[in-house]
Amino acid sequence: MPISFATSKPIDRKALIGKVLRTANYRVSTEDVQDFMGVMPQPSGSTEKVPQIAPPTFAPLVAVLGLLRTFDWSADFEFDYRDGTAMFGEQSIEFHRPLYVNEEVEISAMINDVYEKSGRQKFDVVELAFKIKGDRDGQLVMTGKQSYILFK
Amino acid sequence: MTIAPNKPYAEDLTIGMALPTVKFGPMDRFDYIPIALILRDTNPLHLDRVYAQERGLPDTVQQGPLNQAYLYEFFTNWLHQPWDLASTEIRFSANVFPEDILHCGGEIEGLEVGEEYDIVHCRLWQKNDEGISILTGKASGRLPKHPK
Repeated sequence: MPISFATSKPIDRKALIGKVLRTANYRVSTEDVQDFMGVMPQPSGSTEKVPQIAPPTFAPLVAVLGLLRTFDWSADFEFDYRDGTAMFGEQSIEFHRPLYVNEEVEISAMINDVYEKSGRQKFDVVELAFKIKGDRDGQLVMTGKQSYILFK
Repeated sequence: MTIAPNKPYAEDLTIGMALPTVKFGPMDRFDYIPIALILRDTNPLHLDRVYAQERGLPDTVQQGPLNQAYLYEFFTNWLHQPWDLASTEIRFSANVFPEDILHCGGEIEGLEVGEEYDIVHCRLWQKNDEGISILTGKASGRLPKHPK
C-alpha cells in the first residue's frame, strides 16, 4: 500500500508541464546485462554468457533507470520520496533499433503532462516523454512515455 | 479461441487468435537484489521484508520493471527474433510478491501488411495465480513472411 504524504501546502504540479529535465547517461555494461540475464530464464540450449546485443527484456530497465537520473523527486516533482511512495503508472516505448552491450545511451526527457486523479485518495500523474540515443551511431534506440503516480 | 503457433509467419495468423500462454515463477526475492543494483534503486520496499510489512504489505514488492521484463520475455520469445519487437504500451496495475507465479497471455488485435514483413498488434496481460491483473497493455512486432 502506498504511504500518503501529508503536506499543508497545496501542490499544483500543472505548472511543471513542458519542463525539460536534465540529460542523463548510462553505459549498458556487461556486468548489468550479465546480472540481468542471471535473473531471467534463458532459452534452452543458450550458451551465450554475454551477448553483443542486450535482450529487449533489458530495455524497459534502461528506460526506467535512465529516467530516474533525469529528475529529482523533490526538486522537480515536489515529492518526498522518503515519506511518500511513488508508483509506476504506464509506459509506452517505440523501439527504433537494438540496444548494444557496452554502448552508452543518452536519455533526455521532458514533463509531457500532469493531471490529478482520485482513487481511494487523490494523486497526481506525471507523464514524461523521453528519447534514448546510443553512442554507437548517434541514432535513436527508443522513444516513449513513462508516467509516475505521486500520492498527495 | 484458436491458439496462434509459436514463431509464426505473417500468413499463419488471424485477428482474435490467442497467444500461447506462458507461466513464470515462482518469483524469487533474491532476484530483487541484482535488479535493485542495476536500477540503482535500493528502496527498502523491494529488499526489506520487515520494512514492507510495517507498511501494510505482505512481503517485499517485486520491482515493476522486472514484472515487465517477464511480459517482454513472453512476447519476444513468441516472435522469430527478440528484436522483432516494435513497440509496447504497458499499464502497471498491482504488485508482485516473492513466490508469486506470473501467467502471461495475449490476443491478436491487428495485422498490418508490409512489403518486407508484416506487423502484428497484440493485446497482452499478466496475472498472478489468483487471477489478479498485474500488467495489461499492447505490443507490436515484425513478422517474416513464409519463405517461398
